Amino acid sequence: MAMKFKAWLKTITFYEILVGMKATLKHLLHYRPITLQYPHEKRTLPDSYRGMLALLRYDDGTEKCVGCDLCEAACPSRVIRVISSEVPGEPTKRYAKEYYMDMTRCLFCGLCVDACPVDALGMTREYEWAVYDKRQLLLSKPQLLAIGDRSFPVREKRLELQHPNVAFFNVAFKFMPPKES
Amino acid sequence: MFELGVKVAFSLAQIGVVFGIVLLTVMFLTLAERKVIAWMQDRMGPMEVGPYGILQPIADGLKLFFKEDIVPAGANRFLFSLAPILALVPALIGFAVIPFGPNLTVELFGIQFKPFVISDVNIGILYILAFTSIGAYGIILGGWASNSKYSLLGGLRAAAQVISYELNVGLAIVGVLLLAGSLSLVKITEAQAGGFWHWYIFAFPFPQIFAFVVYVISAVAETNRVPFDLPEAESELVAGFFTEYSGMRFAFFFIAEYANMILVSCIAAALFLGGWNAPYPGTLIGHLGFPHFAWIEQVVWFAAKVYCFLFLFFWLRATLPRLRYDQLMRFGWKVMLPIALGNILVTSIAAYLFPKS
Ligand code: SF4
Ligand code: SF4
Repeated sequence: MAMKFKAWLKTITFYEILVGMKATLKHLLHYRPITLQYPHEKRTLPDSYRGMLALLRYDDGTEKCVGCDLCEAACPSRVIRVISSEVPGEPTKRYAKEYYMDMTRCLFCGLCVDACPVDALGMTREYEWAVYDKRQLLLSKPQLLAIGDRSFPVREKRLELQHPNVAFFNVAFKFMPPKES
Repeated sequence: MFELGVKVAFSLAQIGVVFGIVLLTVMFLTLAERKVIAWMQDRMGPMEVGPYGILQPIADGLKLFFKEDIVPAGANRFLFSLAPILALVPALIGFAVIPFGPNLTVELFGIQFKPFVISDVNIGILYILAFTSIGAYGIILGGWASNSKYSLLGGLRAAAQVISYELNVGLAIVGVLLLAGSLSLVKITEAQAGGFWHWYIFAFPFPQIFAFVVYVISAVAETNRVPFDLPEAESELVAGFFTEYSGMRFAFFFIAEYANMILVSCIAAALFLGGWNAPYPGTLIGHLGFPHFAWIEQVVWFAAKVYCFLFLFFWLRATLPRLRYDQLMRFGWKVMLPIALGNILVTSIAAYLFPKS
């Protein structure tokens, strides 16, 4: 009976609504906004941020990519198109003659970066890539190399003992068990 | 002839001032609403235009003014253009009988004027009710003429909702009218002078607090505001009855909605909260010995009451989710209406037992 009366009293005094209104008023009085005024202030990105993709070079300026097409095969949304060919005059060495990325489709999963046997792909921390014409998001090799150049100033050293024709395969590099000795 | 000229000139000046104030308030409200709701939700609201975004309403107005005016294919052109006007005019026309300040008379060239009310019609409140109902036509026609299912559904919902809650507004007011014995807003407000215990919300012989609650809820519903914003429920109907509107026509609907908010706030202040009367007998400025300037304080009191009421609108919007349609109708007909009717009954018995002087 008392319970029923209490419930009835709560209904006619709009108790629940008043509780809700108290909550909103509390937020108004203790005003602590969580908004980030985006173009003026930017959040710090985590270390593993997966942003714009880029092609990388060795420290001597040569392209890392050996045109193996593995990234194209790994990509779930068919972003990448590699047209690989022989390096002129060096029949055993290949490189990507053309390399296209249709960034409108990319979902920044990073599978291509993992797939690359020579670490030729990298993910930068760029994300402000809004454009007025979406055709500008179809990137070619020079553009991707340029992104890599401006985002990764420190380049990997080309291994001294590496024969110029042999790629340094490191597919499972980070998953290798530690050597016992 | 001269007398008529002066009268017309004075009335036109008054109308201009009231329109200016109302439209300025609408501009201010658009910003205030966004800011208040943002603060309640731990956001910042508009911050880009001007310091702390205070020039946002001007930017919005300019933007709307230069937007393309689209008439959808298959729309009824005449009604499509007529609807925003039909919505806006009744919302603005109601301010003609609102008393913004004390019932003074000023003498100019031997002719008497009332500076704080454009025209003290003796059926003021009836006039407002009549015109706000016409506003519903603007919404319904706008929804129908757009030739879009969302608009049509929004218009239909608006029709049913506005009509059923209009009834509750009218019935909630009747109690006050019984106590005041007048339909003129000026007379009703004057009858509440002398301290807040004379305001009709608390007044002897029967406090109209229930009527006030019914009025507030119905007013929110009548102006299509959250939590009763079903006609423009953006999660279901895109934007309801003004889905297809753009540019200045959209702005008309927008202004109409905010002007309606101000109007119902003014009515609530005048009918239930004592209008321009201060919550203590007389006025502070009057007690200090400047009775000629007492009107300043009284106008401020009126504005303060209206703004408190408008704040309540924002507050509700920031707090409550939208009602379901059947809940809305059931609430209106099965809860609000009986309360309003019962209030009329009790008030009339009380008014009969304790007749005014
Ligand atoms: S990040 Fe994912 S989606 Fe984008 S190119 Fe690489 S594999 Fe394709
Ligand atoms: S997987 Fe690496 S090396 Fe192979 S084509 Fe792609 S980027 Fe070039």
